[in-house]
Amino acid sequence: MDSNNDEALDIIVTNVVATFRTRCHLNLRKIALEGTNVIYKPEVGKVLMKLRKPKITASIWSSGKIICTGATSEEEAKLGARRLARCLQKLGFKVRFSAFRVVNVLAVCSMPFAVHLVDFTKNNRPIASYEPELHPAATYRIKNLKATVQVFSTGSLTVTGPNVQSVASAVEYIYPLLYECQKPRCK
Amino acid sequence: MSSRVCRTCGGSDIDVDQARGSAVCTGCGSVLEDNIIVSEVQFVEGSGGVSSAVGQFVSADGPVKAPLLGSGFHTGVGKESRAQTLQNGKRQIQQLGSQLQLNQHCLDTAFNFFKLVVSKHLTRGRRTEHVIAACLYLVCRTEGTPHMLLDLSDLLQVNVYILGKTFLLLARELCINAPAIDPCLYIPRFAHMLEFGDKNHEVSMTALRLVQRMKRDWMHTGRRPSGLCGAALLVAARMHKFRRSVKDVIGVVKVCQTTLRKRLTEFEDTPTSQLTIDEFMRVDLEQECDPPSFTAGQHKVKMQQLEQELARKLDEVEGEISCYKEEIETELEKSRPKLRGIYAAYAKEMDPEDEDVLSSPADPEDKEGDDAALQAAAQRLTQDFLRQVIQEEEGGGAPQEAETEGAGRPTQGAPLASILGNASLGLQESFHTFDPPEPDQNPEGDPSPSGELDLEGIDDQEIDKYILNEKEVEVKTELWTKQNADYLKEQKEKEERITKEKEQGTYKEKKKKYKKREQIEAATAGEAIEKMLERKKISSKINYDVLRDLNQPAGSPASEPPGGAAVVPRKRLSRRRRKAGNANAELSASATMMTKRFRRLISSTPRKKKAAPQVETAVAMETASEAVPEAPPAAVPDAGPGPVEAPTPLETEEEEEEEAEEDCVSALQLVGDYGCEEEEVF
Repeated sequence: MDSNNDEALDIIVTNVVATFRTRCHLNLRKIALEGTNVIYKPEVGKVLMKLRKPKITASIWSSGKIICTGATSEEEAKLGARRLARCLQKLGFKVRFSAFRVVNVLAVCSMPFAVHLVDFTKNNRPIASYEPELHPAATYRIKNLKATVQVFSTGSLTVTGPNVQSVASAVEYIYPLLYECQKPRCK
Repeated sequence: MSSRVCRTCGGSDIDVDQARGSAVCTGCGSVLEDNIIVSEVQFVEGSGGVSSAVGQFVSADGPVKAPLLGSGFHTGVGKESRAQTLQNGKRQIQQLGSQLQLNQHCLDTAFNFFKLVVSKHLTRGRRTEHVIAACLYLVCRTEGTPHMLLDLSDLLQVNVYILGKTFLLLARELCINAPAIDPCLYIPRFAHMLEFGDKNHEVSMTALRLVQRMKRDWMHTGRRPSGLCGAALLVAARMHKFRRSVKDVIGVVKVCQTTLRKRLTEFEDTPTSQLTIDEFMRVDLEQECDPPSFTAGQHKVKMQQLEQELARKLDEVEGEISCYKEEIETELEKSRPKLRGIYAAYAKEMDPEDEDVLSSPADPEDKEGDDAALQAAAQRLTQDFLRQVIQEEEGGGAPQEAETEGAGRPTQGAPLASILGNASLGLQESFHTFDPPEPDQNPEGDPSPSGELDLEGIDDQEIDKYILNEKEVEVKTELWTKQNADYLKEQKEKEERITKEKEQGTYKEKKKKYKKREQIEAATAGEAIEKMLERKKISSKINYDVLRDLNQPAGSPASEPPGGAAVVPRKRLSRRRRKAGNANAELSASATMMTKRFRRLISSTPRKKKAAPQVETAVAMETASEAVPEAPPAAVPDAGPGPVEAPTPLETEEEEEEEAEEDCVSALQLVGDYGCEEEEVF
């Protein structure tokens, strides 16, 4: 949704995972008993909390570390995290909002052409791997961006990376490689 | 022997003594060679008359054993263990390979891969089984044998994906570029397993042709080869009039029924499937298809578009219908003036003023005649209310509106419920959410502990909804405690046990396995050593307090060497001294104690000394008596304990005797010192 290539590829961010710290210990049982939209898992030692707006799911640990998943942009993740912190604040914890960090971003993107996976793997040998027995997509890992791209034969890509920017540059990086092994669609 | 020439004299007469392993020139007598390694095979006759070759077998790929250098000379400690690993690996590769019916060449290649893996330390953190399976699979891939990873995982009873992970890692690390899997490879194998008898070849050829066609139609990318093979074989079998059910094929190719079905339907969608058998065998269609999943995706998009269009049209039509509805309603109203109020009220979305009318005992259910009209009205109302509820829920920021509405509604609740059925449920829920008063846990003035939490764009009212009020908390607490009674009980028991153990002093806290040692900070080396000693007592037999005093310039002439022998009596000394320090206070108490202890000693000494020679007992007695007169000068009024205790902690009586005199000297000097070896008193 954010970054467009020259060919106007739409990169749709589907999930943003972020973490932050409250810098205080949280009584999970209190959260579990006084909040709605919570699931308490004492055996794992965490509380799952869901917010409606933005739609995020957070796992809250008693150490005060919180992982938010499900946002569709970095801003949304931050807003959701702040809302969550506010919610905890209202529950009576001395919550601070620190060390917010986007950890992982998942995005999908679709090429205007189909991809010859076998050729693609052959051309980019050690980095790309395609094992139909294990996974239908070819995996391509871009080390300096810390991004992993899964290429499907239909031309769909799934990109995971540490932030939206790196995901976008990963798509830009891989586009010419895919372009080489494209297979035009028959109409 | 005569081929050589002596270096010194040039003579050619050189005597080589095989037994001594030396070559000597007979002319000048110079030794030309020493310790010759012979390349002869010698045989020794055993006791049973069996002759055997002398020496040891050294395998080509095994390590060079070093028996010549002597067993004490460890040249290859690491090599030994590696050799073992390799040997184990080889054995396992042989085992697994024979199960897969791989030939020897493949096994050797696999072993070479394994050697590479071991030398690159890739085995660490992975199970040998997995590594070996991955090695074998690597060979299968590079050699193109018809084996799947699934077969290996089947043999090892390990998840395929774990093996896959190992395999991918090895392939990447060893830079082995395995060619992509070709489904055609598996066709002959599966065909063989399906037992087509004489027609085996024909069937597999047809299947191969089918697979080729499928490949052209983009069915194979991103799919498991086995599924594709299964579909092709099934079709081929049917084409050759074999009766093979889907189940038979599934059993061989090991995919799910649905997968196979899907492949078949995908094949059905390609133009090739429209051909007759003859045509198929003869004709090659030029056309290629899009990947099936892509077509499916396009299909979906199209369906969505259609649906949207349909929905739009429906809306239009609905608008018309509602127009008609209203007309009908007005007509009805006209024709039945009696019921007018009620329908009007329904139609006008329930104005609160109409309450009296609503609560009037007009029961709409009785009027069977205008059922249709009523239903239509009810439907409309339901829609309206639902929309409203949704709006409220979404809006969130308009609680006042909701509350005014809520105030008006509860009275309507009952008649509405009867009419609207499920819609009323939603209404009640919405009342529920708006009813609770906003908890004032966090008023605006509350200093948020750090200004760090930026409240911008945060809707408190919505967040409040995530927090239950007191009553709800109570209910939930009760529910939760009931639900988790077992867990709570367990926790309580655990806590109790811990406190109990703490009281008894037997509680052991779980320590972390690895504790980082603090860095010792010291200005001088001596200090550092001292600190280190403080932390880590080298021996429990050393009194470190006294040891520390040694370093201090006390000017003691009788400072003894800090050897173990010297330290032992000192310990005793310090003990005695301490006794002297607080002697007066403890005098009476200790006196009685001493007598007791003395008695016990007497009873215990003989037992203890049973093993020791009789002479030593006598010596011990001697020292005891010696100490008695010597102790008083050290300002010890109750010198009793000294000699009495003396023998108890000591194992070597001789030492004591030797040091007895010195003891007294140092005791005098070190009166000011104190020792705290309380445990050792007993």
